[in-house]
Amino acid sequence: MGLGFAIGAFGVLILAHAAYSTIQYRGLLKIMEEEFSGPPMNVVVELLVGLVLCMWAALTVPGKFLSIHPHSDENRIVSLPANMDFMVFNHRGKVFPSAMDLKLKH
Amino acid sequence: MVTKTEETQLNRLEGQVENGGGGAWDYLCFVRKLKVRRSDKVLKYGLSILNDPKKRSSLGPEEWTLYEQVAIAAMDCQCLDVAKDCINVLQKRFPESKRVGRLEGMLLEAKGSWTEAEKAYLSLLEDNPLDQVIHKRRVALAKAQGNMSEAIEFINKYLEIFMADSDTWRELAEIYVSLQMYKQAAFCYEELILAQPTVPLYHLAYADVLYTLGGLENLQAAKKYYSSAIELTGGKNTRALFGICLCTSAIAQLTKGRNKEEKDSPDLQSLATAALEKDYKQRASDKVSVLGSALKSLKVSS
Repeated sequence: MGLGFAIGAFGVLILAHAAYSTIQYRGLLKIMEEEFSGPPMNVVVELLVGLVLCMWAALTVPGKFLSIHPHSDENRIVSLPANMDFMVFNHRGKVFPSAMDLKLKH
Repeated sequence: MVTKTEETQLNRLEGQVENGGGGAWDYLCFVRKLKVRRSDKVLKYGLSILNDPKKRSSLGPEEWTLYEQVAIAAMDCQCLDVAKDCINVLQKRFPESKRVGRLEGMLLEAKGSWTEAEKAYLSLLEDNPLDQVIHKRRVALAKAQGNMSEAIEFINKYLEIFMADSDTWRELAEIYVSLQMYKQAAFCYEELILAQPTVPLYHLAYADVLYTLGGLENLQAAKKYYSSAIELTGGKNTRALFGICLCTSAIAQLTKGRNKEEKDSPDLQSLATAALEKDYKQRASDKVSVLGSALKSLKVSS
């Protein structure tokens, strides 16, 4: 968790640095009166590294993925809840009183 | 809804509690959350917590929930003294509560004094005519007396107001099945499938009802619903696999002599048989021969 978060923050920093370098590069081009043909190599590399780090952090930090398959063990419903609201008390258990002599003592 | 993971977790907790490994409170919470009926165990372990002042006070406000849970479990086990004591404690704590009033009505039910229970519920309904649980209790009261037609009437009245209550639809379907009114039961299951299309057990129950109704169209529909149950469970539901085999053989018997052009997916049965055989080999290898002879008898009749 802590590691993933740190890597994500680092990725965001790299992206910010890439943005800053681009702005600086454009400023430099203006001074040198050249046409802007594309970002410099180091900015592209920074962007790619930042993308990978941010994506990795975004996939690991928030939590584990849950299965969406209806037949996976987490989603497969094996029994319905007993309808407790419609519980009926005069069932055959009445004939077999439980041997427990339980008492609520206070 | 109890999923496979939750079921294994519940069984693990149950074993742990039974072998004295502790975790009784977690177990009781889990039972409450999954809404399973384990009254004897709830009574035993719930009382052991309630009778221990230190454990009881550590629960904080959850203590009262436990009293209610234990009271209902005690009524289910016919330990009426325990139920009475629990309700008295709750009555002292919450003198004007409707929920405690409901518990008292249930105690009257458990004692078998039907008219008094009915009176108690009616007086509670006067204060709040839309109390869902009380309406459900009245249905259960009619059911407990064996008066199924009245129970059905109450449920129908209830469902006119609360149409989205799928548990009640299921209860109605089960009552209809118990009375062998399969057409009505099929309607209820259709309603349930519409409300929750991803629950394989509804598909399975609907297919069972259709298969019981019989007739070529119903059998074909049953086969489809068994297939959808298999799809939703990934083939891990044995009953659905057997249903496919039974449906195919019944359909073959009905269409015997007729032209067999419209025979759809002839390998469905062989797939189901293969899945069944594999499953039996894995989990009950000594029953494989029984399965084989049962499947053979189905094929011979077709």
